Amino acid sequence: MTVLVYLEHADGDVDEPSLQGIALARSFAGGAAVQAVVACADDVRAPTRALAGSGVATLHAAVGEPFASYAPPAVAEAIVELAGRLGATAVVGPGTERGNEVMAHVGALLDLPVAANCVAAAPADGGAEVTRVRWGGSLLEVARLHTATTLLTVQPHAVPFESTADGEPALEGFTPSVSDAAGQVRVVDRVGASTGGISLTDAKVVVSGGRGAGSTEGFGVVEELAGLLGGAVGCSRAVTMAGWRPHTDQVGQTGTKIAPDLYIACGISGATQHMAGCKGAKRILAINSDREAPILASADYAVIGDMHEILPALSAAIRAARSS
Amino acid sequence: MSTAASAVALLIVLSVAGGLFARRAHLLYRIVRLGKPVDRSGEVGRRVRNEATDVLGQRKLLQRLGPGLVHAFIFWGFVVLLPTIVMALLGAVDPDWTLPWLGHQGWFFLLVDVFCVLVLVGVVSAFLIRKVQRPPRFEGSHLGEADLILGLIALIVTTLLLWHASQIALGINEWPADWSPVSNAISTLMSQGEWLETRERIFVWAHVLTILGFLVYLPYSKHLHIATAGLNVWFGRTRRRGRLEPLDFEVEDEAALRLGSGTLVDMTWKQMLDTLSCTECGRCQDACPAWATGKALSPKLLVMGLRDRLFEEGPSVLAGGEASPLVPGAVTDDVVWDCVTCGACVRECPVSIEHVDHIVDLRRHLVMVESRFPSEAGTMLRDVGRSSNPWGKAQGERASWADGLDVRVLEPGDPPPDVLYWVGCAASFDERARESARATATLLLRAGLDVAILGPRESCTGDPARRMGDEYTFQAQAQQNVATLDEAGATRIVTSCPHCFNTIGNEYGDFGGSYEVVHHTELLAELLRDGRLEAPGGDAEITYHDSCYLARHNDVVGAPREIVSRIGKPLEMARNGKRTFCCGAGGAHMWMEERGAAINEERVREAAATGAETLAVACPFCTMMLDDGVKQAGAGMRVADVSVLLAEALDGGR
Repeated sequence: MTVLVYLEHADGDVDEPSLQGIALARSFAGGAAVQAVVACADDVRAPTRALAGSGVATLHAAVGEPFASYAPPAVAEAIVELAGRLGATAVVGPGTERGNEVMAHVGALLDLPVAANCVAAAPADGGAEVTRVRWGGSLLEVARLHTATTLLTVQPHAVPFESTADGEPALEGFTPSVSDAAGQVRVVDRVGASTGGISLTDAKVVVSGGRGAGSTEGFGVVEELAGLLGGAVGCSRAVTMAGWRPHTDQVGQTGTKIAPDLYIACGISGATQHMAGCKGAKRILAINSDREAPILASADYAVIGDMHEILPALSAAIRAARSS
Repeated sequence: MSTAASAVALLIVLSVAGGLFARRAHLLYRIVRLGKPVDRSGEVGRRVRNEATDVLGQRKLLQRLGPGLVHAFIFWGFVVLLPTIVMALLGAVDPDWTLPWLGHQGWFFLLVDVFCVLVLVGVVSAFLIRKVQRPPRFEGSHLGEADLILGLIALIVTTLLLWHASQIALGINEWPADWSPVSNAISTLMSQGEWLETRERIFVWAHVLTILGFLVYLPYSKHLHIATAGLNVWFGRTRRRGRLEPLDFEVEDEAALRLGSGTLVDMTWKQMLDTLSCTECGRCQDACPAWATGKALSPKLLVMGLRDRLFEEGPSVLAGGEASPLVPGAVTDDVVWDCVTCGACVRECPVSIEHVDHIVDLRRHLVMVESRFPSEAGTMLRDVGRSSNPWGKAQGERASWADGLDVRVLEPGDPPPDVLYWVGCAASFDERARESARATATLLLRAGLDVAILGPRESCTGDPARRMGDEYTFQAQAQQNVATLDEAGATRIVTSCPHCFNTIGNEYGDFGGSYEVVHHTELLAELLRDGRLEAPGGDAEITYHDSCYLARHNDVVGAPREIVSRIGKPLEMARNGKRTFCCGAGGAHMWMEERGAAINEERVREAAATGAETLAVACPFCTMMLDDGVKQAGAGMRVADVSVLLAEALDGGR
């Protein structure tokens, strides 16, 4: 039995979900060594060293110009070509956004189903039995695949990876033939998110504006304070509904759930759906002109006043304290 | 042409037309028989009544008086003129043949003349509506097909009048001609002569052939509703509108396990019949809040999309072929998720199509089989199951709204209260909605009722999960809550939330829970009526917004208005009562991002147009949505629950 694992890698390292993919592939192969495939511009970049003790016998590096950046259809064609050559019984990918995308292309090319987000898999008469996560994590489904080649992706952080005593895998480069159409899809540019690098989920301080900001321009004072505190800018649903900020900035149950040390909510009334997104905050400071705004019930500190007066004053005070 | 030759000719055209009709009808019948079972037997009395009111009485069509009358004229004309088809078939064979007895009754021919004119008036008005008025409800309908059908109807009636007139002119009429004012008048215009007999033959045959042509065309067109609408009304749901059909997860045979509608073979036979009954009149589209705010969903286009799929794939599936996914093939994902399950379409539909059930079944498949739904709603589904409320709040805080109030929290083993107050998640946790919980509890205690709450033992009813299509999570919640309520010995339950009201009152019966459930507005109105609460009166102008799940799904319209009229001056919005317009939160939309224009703002603009200073509501979700809408639209109104307004009035205002 040949089991092939598709790996994501960067700077000579293989990421966690891919290692977990190897772990599931090994268990599928009954503990035997597996084969792995990566895509890179040239095989010098293949993460051979990182795979020492991983249980990968041979690392196949699909090399060529199309693989200089993330190019899912081209990678899929390389995997299909390799799997065909090796006579692979199963192809496993990491259940990340990219892993799922690549494996979806593989499924489409082979006209076979892909079982996504698996936590266990084993061969079963003429196919495979997989256990996979469904319904946003509330249910495990046991499903049967009746296909000669099993295609699946592995739910991240659900299958533990344990290293073996094996050495580095053998490296075999190959140059797959990539169709013109597949070569067309690749990354041409990268644009950073508007928060300037600090993501809402990771930020220690989040400064959010609500309807009280009044407009897109009204967020200038919010951005200023967030910049001074090294924090990220968030907003409420009313703001994204009004089109003042992108949905990626939204804090709330239907947006991003945050857990900063300090959450500064400015001009936000504090609807339940918003509070559900910031309940992980250690401290909440509410700035609101409405003394009866619901957010005051959950806030640790509150300033009653217009955010357009309070925030500039706050920023000025911080600057003054720092310069003195 | 001799009688024998005519008979042979008629026999030939009858068998050709009848054969073509039967072949198509048989195919449609077999497609509908592909459908999954759903029980629509029983309650014959109710079904007979529906036929009488909705079909013969044209009740739903007459909700729009103008177009309703136009249709009623044509429909009633069709019914009255049915015997003339037999007369024409007989007359086509031999000019002297007609129906015994009826063919000689003057009054019948008076009716025929009158209804011929009414049908023509109807057809002309329908043309005017379609060509001059051009209401937006026809957007997306097959307009050319409708023109052809109207033309055929006009031709049938005109040839009938001309035939009768030529009979009178010939003097071969078997009924007193005086009874036929219209045919008689036309006959005087007909020149006498040898051509008259030929013309009589031409008219009767033209009449018969048009009818047979119509018969053949019928099952290929949207006008099929002539044959299907009556059936669809008969098999229409007798359950309450807000009560969804439960799925059976415990079926023995796994092949019979139905998880909503993935392909056409998953649809129930009633759903298939629904699609064959649609005439594309667009009354549903006109009432739909999603369509009104520029979203992808139109209930009409949804049903048409499913019908087209039935016609495309039905024959091949019957031959053993595979059916392809309904979403996104027949309808797009957006269409499925735009629905707020407000039921306005179902209420408007003259032929008992159940759009909401279609939507929920499509959602069930997407959620439970494909895990495909707006990702932002995933947290709600998980929190309902894990935290017992859709916001993931700590259950321990569920009763903290009642701090400082003397409300009994029912512990296991406590004697059951007279009235169990089921607060609901929104009124328990949302700061804004908690006001109504406090007001309601205060009022009930003030009236001296023995009332208690379940506190942390209360759990989400599962309504948002069910409307999202997550029947599995819903049923888990339902079973748990029924067990809690039964243990508590609850008999009479009052709810703040119309969604809890609907779920516990209408849907828990399917899971063994049987209780008398009232909404807080009903109970408060009852206490006012009995004098256990005294209404102080007032002159503030208040407009009341009906919650869909209270008014439309459950017919509670009077009680909240009774309260409003006791504390202020009521002003009605254009869309009120059972024809209310959704706030935008239904169908789990409280936990989804809205695309396009905002439904709540649309509703707030309508409320503001009344000039009222207060917008009264009776649902915590309406409270949140309309409160937001007021802020977004910059309308200077106060949004408050009816219970809050009543409590304030009793305290002498705020």
